[in-house]
Amino acid sequence: MEVDQLQRTFHDYHASLFNEGFLDEQFVQLQQLQDESNPGFVVEVVSLFFEDSERLLNDLSKALDQVNVDFRKIDAHVHQLKGSSSSIGAQRVRNACIAFRNFCDERNIEACLQCLQQVRQEYLLVKTKLEALLRLEQQIVAAGGASPM
Amino acid sequence: MACTSGGKSDVAPVPEQFPVGLRVLVVDDDVICLRVLEQMLRKCMYKVTSCSQATVALNLLRERKGCFDIVLSDVHMPDMDGFKLLELVGLEMDLPVIMMSADGRTNLVMRGIRHGACDYLIKPIRDEELKNIWQHVVRKKWNEIKEHDHSGSMEDHDRQKRVIDDAEYASCVNEGADEVLKMQKKRRDSKDEDDTELENDDPAATKKPRVVWSVELHQQFVSAVNQLGIDKAVPKRILELMNVPGLTRENVASHLQKFRLYLKRLSGVAQQQGCLPSTYCGPVEQNLKLASLGRFDIQALAASGQLPPQTLAALHAELLSRPPGKLVLPALDQRTLLHASLQGSKCIPADQDVAYGQPLIKCSSNIAKQTSQPVMSNEDVLSEFAAWSAKSLGDMVPACNFGSVVERNSNMLISFIQQQQQQQQKQPVIPEPSRSINVQPSCLVVPSQSSPNFQAGNSPVSVNQNCSFRNLALDYNNPSLQSNNSSGAGQNMEVECKPVRMHSEFGTAGSVLSASSCSKDIQDSACQRVPSSLSTISVVMQVPNINDMQSSHSGKPDLVQVSTRNPVYVGKGPSIPSRFAVDEHELPMSSISQMKLYAENNGNKVKQEPNDLTENVRVGIPVRQTFPQMI
Repeated sequence: MEVDQLQRTFHDYHASLFNEGFLDEQFVQLQQLQDESNPGFVVEVVSLFFEDSERLLNDLSKALDQVNVDFRKIDAHVHQLKGSSSSIGAQRVRNACIAFRNFCDERNIEACLQCLQQVRQEYLLVKTKLEALLRLEQQIVAAGGASPM
Repeated sequence: MACTSGGKSDVAPVPEQFPVGLRVLVVDDDVICLRVLEQMLRKCMYKVTSCSQATVALNLLRERKGCFDIVLSDVHMPDMDGFKLLELVGLEMDLPVIMMSADGRTNLVMRGIRHGACDYLIKPIRDEELKNIWQHVVRKKWNEIKEHDHSGSMEDHDRQKRVIDDAEYASCVNEGADEVLKMQKKRRDSKDEDDTELENDDPAATKKPRVVWSVELHQQFVSAVNQLGIDKAVPKRILELMNVPGLTRENVASHLQKFRLYLKRLSGVAQQQGCLPSTYCGPVEQNLKLASLGRFDIQALAASGQLPPQTLAALHAELLSRPPGKLVLPALDQRTLLHASLQGSKCIPADQDVAYGQPLIKCSSNIAKQTSQPVMSNEDVLSEFAAWSAKSLGDMVPACNFGSVVERNSNMLISFIQQQQQQQQKQPVIPEPSRSINVQPSCLVVPSQSSPNFQAGNSPVSVNQNCSFRNLALDYNNPSLQSNNSSGAGQNMEVECKPVRMHSEFGTAGSVLSASSCSKDIQDSACQRVPSSLSTISVVMQVPNINDMQSSHSGKPDLVQVSTRNPVYVGKGPSIPSRFAVDEHELPMSSISQMKLYAENNGNKVKQEPNDLTENVRVGIPVRQTFPQMI
């Protein structure tokens, strides 16, 4: 594919992610933090996010699976997930976390389980999108173009 | 998105290019956040250190004190509560801390404020927010300076203390008493002006209740610190040891911070001067300048490389254990001291001793010349004193200086300085033969050339072991020396002993006297008087356990010096302050050995003092070692 075309694709895709609420302004900040001295910054941070989120989701699963659910622990996990998702601009994940926390406060296990499900779903979605976006970027760069990030 | 840099010319006194290079420590267990923040801060041209664990961060802060300007910390962390970290940092390092959290609930933000956070940022944090964090650093510094200047106390000793604590102090040491006087006056004036506004601003401006660090309180603080060891002193333990109701850990922590800086400055200055005297002569010059200010003696010692921070702290405690007016800080200027002494001193009433000062010995090779001419007719007695002095000196930190001197001048005798300018005295100060000498251990002698002038000297000569030595101010001006520079020790040998304890006869003035016997004064007057005055070597020695002091004022206005029934020379105007308290009381020699420079004003205190002093003075060993040689 030609670089220009790739660039356009990237641009469109990028815009849609924002339009659909998967990403927010914070992601733009990340992009702006990337520069010549830190060319792989976005990739680095996004990767970190993936790792961290998966760990947290697993922990949440386990915590909710306990006989005696430790809501404080769950709250802590959710809080952290909320923090990291907001740091990279994964808006929908963050929103799901907020809802999750509310039910956590209510100590509603059922609702919490549902929330966990929701959070996981959103996470997987944004993960797919981000991976696609980053792949596009890679292709552009590989084709000789400047990183659109 | 880059932070502005360099354009903060109105922000003073910050280094150029501020806030570029601001040293930030970021603590967050969320690695994504941490990485993002790190990058944002780097873009702001800050120097970033990131930490994912609060405990690690705390250790980092402790180990690398002074390496960070500001801390950013997350609220929720697994190993330590962010608020706790916040508190600890505030107490131990007194750095501005900004809290961060994805949770922006009001109660949490409120908690942050209560725990002392200077700001609370809600995640996700934008880079614009980080661009301005430098304001917290500046604000805190300015508030500290303001607090320093305007701390609630109106008392002079606090003022003095603050002045002394001020960084200007260090430079003053080198510049001489003059600067200090000016600075003091300026500071006093501005303080007076500011106080009224201060009160208005106070409640709103400060977030913590203002604690007045009085001398007593500070003494307690320093004893607590000494007890714990300066390296191990943490606010919580200090607070426990101090056991002062109403005092908070924050108060102690911020005070501790300042105290550490103060000690650092002391040793910093000492290093600058770089004197390491094995004998006193070399550093004497410097010490002269230093010594003219009581606290400066500490510097002198520090300069001699003999003072570890603990000792500095101890000495500091020592100094502060004197109530105002009795302060051993001969320092700053006559007026100040006089003021101080008048204010707080119990010495003014006739029957108290005035404890003062530290003998300042400015050695020069000249002294050697002097030594061969004992003024005292009774050399034995004098050498007796000298020996005794030497021993006693061991107890006195600054005395170590003397020790060396003594060492060098084994023939030094104690002489009394009557007045350098006897002729010029309004008050006829004529020592009476019956006067006894108060020997201040640290002060030794230089026989004045003018035996005739040394009226009191004769009598003291008769001092023997049975004599009580009181307030002998060793004020030593060799004519030859006097003719030399006025700026200070130079080649002059001047021994200024600020009488630690003034005979009651001498009244408070004595203290001031000693105080006023700033080297500068001496030198000035010395210079002026050289031709006319002879020798005026006054030896003022103080002996502890003087219970029967009666003080009489010399009535000399400026010097407020020692006035005794026996004419003590009270310098006038620019004349050399009287340091000669010749007293006739008799004291057992044994008590003398307990005497310390910083003796208290009254006998009772004196008795207790030595013990305290002994405890507090940690350095004396080098001094002591020199003493035996003296004999």
